[in-house]
Amino acid sequence: MSSETATMTVANAPSHRASRLDRFLMQGGIVITFLVVAVVATALIEPRFLNRLNLLNVMRNFALLLIPSLAQMLVMTAGGFDLSVGAVVAATSVVTAAVMLVGNGYFPGMELAVIIASLVIALGVGALVGLVNAGLVSAFSLSPFMVTLAMMSVLMGIALYFTQGIPIYGVTDSFVANVGRGQFLGLPIVLWAALGVLAACIVMQRFTALGRHIYAVGSDQRSARLSGVATGRTLIAAYMLAGLLAALTGYLMTSRLGSGQSTIGGTLALETIAAAVIGGVSLRGGVGRAELVALAALFLSVIANAMNLVQVDSRYQTLVLGAVLIIALAIERLLLRKRQS
Amino acid sequence: MLEVTGFTKRFRGIAALDNVDFSLNEGEVHALLGENGAGKSTLINLIAGTFPWAEGVYRINGRTITSLTPQVAQEIGIAAVFQEFSLVPDLTVVENIFLGREQSSGLFLKRKQMRQAAAELLDSLGFHLPLDEKVAFLSRAQKQMVEIAKALRMRPKVLILDEPTASLTDGEAEKLFNAIALLKARGVGIIYVSHRMSEIRNLSDRVTVLRGGKKIGTVVTAEISDEGLIEMMVGRPVEQLFPKIDHKPGAVRLEVRDLTTEKHSVISASFTARAGEVVGLAGLVGCGRSELCRAVFGLETVEAGTITLGDKPVERPTPTSMLAANVCYFPADRGSEGLALARPARENATMSSLDLPELSSGPLLKFWRENEAIRAPLGNLALRPMAPERKASAFSGGNQQKLMLARGLMKPFDVYLFDEPTVGIDVGAKADVYNLIKSLVEAGASVVVSTSELPELINLASRVYVMHEGKVVAELAQHELSEAQVLSHYFGGRA
Amino acid sequence: MSMEAKTQPMAQLSGLSPRDVLRAARLPIAIVVVLILFGLVEPRVLSLGNFRNIALQASYLAIFAMAQTMVLLTRGFDLSLGYTVSLVSVAASMAMVAMGGGDASILYGVGAAALIAGAIGLANGVLIAGIGINPLVTTLGMANMVLAFASTISGGFPVTGLPKSLTAEFAQGSLLSIPMPIWIAALVFVLLFLVLKATRFGRSLYIIGANPRAAVAAGIRTVPVLVLAYVLCALLAALGALLLTARTGSGEPNLGGNLTLEAIAAAVVGGVRLARGEGGVGAAVLGALFVTVLSNGMNLVQIDGYLQQICLGVIIIVSLIVNRDEARR
Repeated sequence: MSSETATMTVANAPSHRASRLDRFLMQGGIVITFLVVAVVATALIEPRFLNRLNLLNVMRNFALLLIPSLAQMLVMTAGGFDLSVGAVVAATSVVTAAVMLVGNGYFPGMELAVIIASLVIALGVGALVGLVNAGLVSAFSLSPFMVTLAMMSVLMGIALYFTQGIPIYGVTDSFVANVGRGQFLGLPIVLWAALGVLAACIVMQRFTALGRHIYAVGSDQRSARLSGVATGRTLIAAYMLAGLLAALTGYLMTSRLGSGQSTIGGTLALETIAAAVIGGVSLRGGVGRAELVALAALFLSVIANAMNLVQVDSRYQTLVLGAVLIIALAIERLLLRKRQS
Repeated sequence: MLEVTGFTKRFRGIAALDNVDFSLNEGEVHALLGENGAGKSTLINLIAGTFPWAEGVYRINGRTITSLTPQVAQEIGIAAVFQEFSLVPDLTVVENIFLGREQSSGLFLKRKQMRQAAAELLDSLGFHLPLDEKVAFLSRAQKQMVEIAKALRMRPKVLILDEPTASLTDGEAEKLFNAIALLKARGVGIIYVSHRMSEIRNLSDRVTVLRGGKKIGTVVTAEISDEGLIEMMVGRPVEQLFPKIDHKPGAVRLEVRDLTTEKHSVISASFTARAGEVVGLAGLVGCGRSELCRAVFGLETVEAGTITLGDKPVERPTPTSMLAANVCYFPADRGSEGLALARPARENATMSSLDLPELSSGPLLKFWRENEAIRAPLGNLALRPMAPERKASAFSGGNQQKLMLARGLMKPFDVYLFDEPTVGIDVGAKADVYNLIKSLVEAGASVVVSTSELPELINLASRVYVMHEGKVVAELAQHELSEAQVLSHYFGGRA
Repeated sequence: MSMEAKTQPMAQLSGLSPRDVLRAARLPIAIVVVLILFGLVEPRVLSLGNFRNIALQASYLAIFAMAQTMVLLTRGFDLSLGYTVSLVSVAASMAMVAMGGGDASILYGVGAAALIAGAIGLANGVLIAGIGINPLVTTLGMANMVLAFASTISGGFPVTGLPKSLTAEFAQGSLLSIPMPIWIAALVFVLLFLVLKATRFGRSLYIIGANPRAAVAAGIRTVPVLVLAYVLCALLAALGALLLTARTGSGEPNLGGNLTLEAIAAAVVGGVRLARGEGGVGAAVLGALFVTVLSNGMNLVQIDGYLQQICLGVIIIVSLIVNRDEARR
């Protein structure tokens, strides 16, 4: 008798439970559909897409979008936003090149040490930025959007002030050859790096307490705190990890470009938010999975490549990116409207 | 085991809790009784470490505690289940039960063990829940069960239950009572907050009654009558609190037929409200009575059914069109849906009446007339202090409620929908609200009151509809109204 | 009861306490202090000519800050404001050039500006209020689309050949020896002040900002109000764009790059409380004045432009922290 009442409650509340459509959408139905359509359409319209060299190129671009997109995802699932991700990439690119320039001057012949030192210093800068962002957001409960917008301005200012907008050359050659252009098992090193980061994110999200706490803080900060989650520390972890990933992106981009540039990363905030949102990361926090963000980043990379192949003006590519972002969100909103309470 | 003496807490200089003593023994259920605003929730929040106390001594197991956070409280064995849940909607049942207390080996979570432990815990309580469903998709009753399980996961020595049955059906409540008996036998002390006399009588060993932040007394439950408890709680004879309303049911003002909301929170509900009468909507929290009011006012999407005002059917209700059709709705949660707290009192009083010719012509606002227009409504409601330029957030709960109610006096409405009109306001303000209802009804309006306070229904309403799981399960006339009668329909089964 | 009580601020006296006065005067005092500090380093800062210069520069920024305020009041954002300025500048210039570049062509330029800005504002408003997409992401996406248009239709080059009278009248012209842009900014200020104070639309903006759900329950039609707010924001941005175009004398695709940030900074510094429905155009104007005084001073003491960008970011954060205290409940 008593067990019947309980099960009855469940059966009587079908509207509370996810419908099949909801499930499909939540488990990445949109992304997978988008990706398949984009790949097939591109391959049909432009067979050169399947060319090995082109695919390698797609992979490299994908890798360099995936890493900062995962950074964005971490912050967004924790209920924030990171508009400073592009600025961190630019700043750490400058830092990487500067360290190499200086390091190679003082310690000629110690290339490997300099390459590693520049990575460590770049990562340190990224982590510091994340710490400051998180500190301001959690200690003063400021809007993450405003904080990272201001941080973006600060970082861009610093990067531009030190370089005056001029690229820093003098990046170690072997760094460019082995990291930027290097391959392992036929795939670019940067792709391996990105896949490593992706795997780490997946494990972190699913199998660690930190991952769970990030979701909890993003979903409902008050409840998380009352449940004993150290919300401040969780936010710091999320923003610092994001900073580290953005810094890694800056480092790897430097290896591809062969110089430190203060002007890269301009549209990265948009691109990473687009990848995260298309990958199903909720703008309200608490929802988002790394593997789907990866699919979304791949989708965006394929589209960008397709536009390059059919020689669309690069300026129109931002237009398409903006449109794709808005359309994806509109579709999500319209399909899931009923779920919103 | 647990003892607090001289507990005092002030908010904005006003004592929410004034020199209260409270003790709890091992294996005891100690009920806490009092009206809304009596200080019950302040007391349990202080005991659970949600916020610090101003004065008083806190002792547990002979140890004196000087300060407390929720985390520390949990560690020393105090667990609380508040009415406001502390569940994270995007995590699953299992994940919520272990949130903040995850079991890991090294860096990695012991996911299997935790799932197993959660299943055993729920099983021992007799709660059947989908373990891997996100909490967002659970019903309120299911969330309540998760919340209770989560509190018990810590094996607490003191368990605080704040109106735990407010949204449970009687079968579910029965399981909870069994679990309470089990915990009691294990020596757990339980602080039990409830409105329901029958629960207090059946479960508790002692009762402490609070009123206006002060302790009225602690009594052994078996030694006092229900009437005695109510007397302690209200502090004055019931008749004095509730005005005598002269019901003169006239023409049907509002008729709802077979209304079903899109979210199925209301299923095929029908009711009528006549001019000159108060119609009550009763039922558990989450039974659909709030949603029914909201749907009539256009705040919930209607899937099927008809709403008729007088003899005019309403096609697609929106708040704007319903206000224009002289229907006024007062939301249950004035903070989240009723008031613009950061704006002045004046703007809050007029915000739903900006289209009145006294206040605007076309798009232009006659802001210089505004103060004149609100003088009478705010005066009638005895707003204290009478400071229309003060921010709404700077008023007390009762006066905030009056600011919201003032909207209903800006012009005469035909139908008033009150959703929980006296939540979180003091006895004086309550009497003011009841008198307002009286004057509205006697002036010929039709008033619908949805409330979880049974005395309100019994003393104010001329008819009461009882709802259960979205459906109207009973209609009771005034002579049938008694606490026992209404409650007997709360769980649907015996209707 | 007790939980609610906790969220309420300290009881205030109904009159103004000295603290309130100090709080209200905080920004004007800060402006004077900054002026004096720069004046100590570089006396030219305190010259009458420079004051006039500051007022002139601030009037442009004030228009953009007031535009941004319209949507900030509703808990929204417009990140597309800056690039809207770019696109309007280019498109209006092209329209004027296409219509012969005579005095009469100015009207076509204004028409094109209004049309384009209206469309952008409408699109933002419909996506945000109608469909319910997050304003931040909507306007971020819109910003990039608008930027793409601005840079492609112009080919990335300035549009020249504008009517001489445009610059002569609307940038260099003056009335009662006060420059035209100041008059226009003042007019916009007065109009918006009245709109916020004395129209149902203005009142609705505040109520929506303070509590969107309460606004709905009070029968306010939030969708049209929000759409109008975004349209108004874009139209004001277009007005500012025309004035800036008059000043440079050509349609510039790069005109608005930093404006989004500056406009938000000015509004936030002024105290337009994000997501709280507080503040007004007065706050935006004061904020614009503060930001201008600061950048003017830094220019005169020859601080690098990039360092100024750093300062802008720091100022935003500092003012967020400072304004937070009084917002605390």
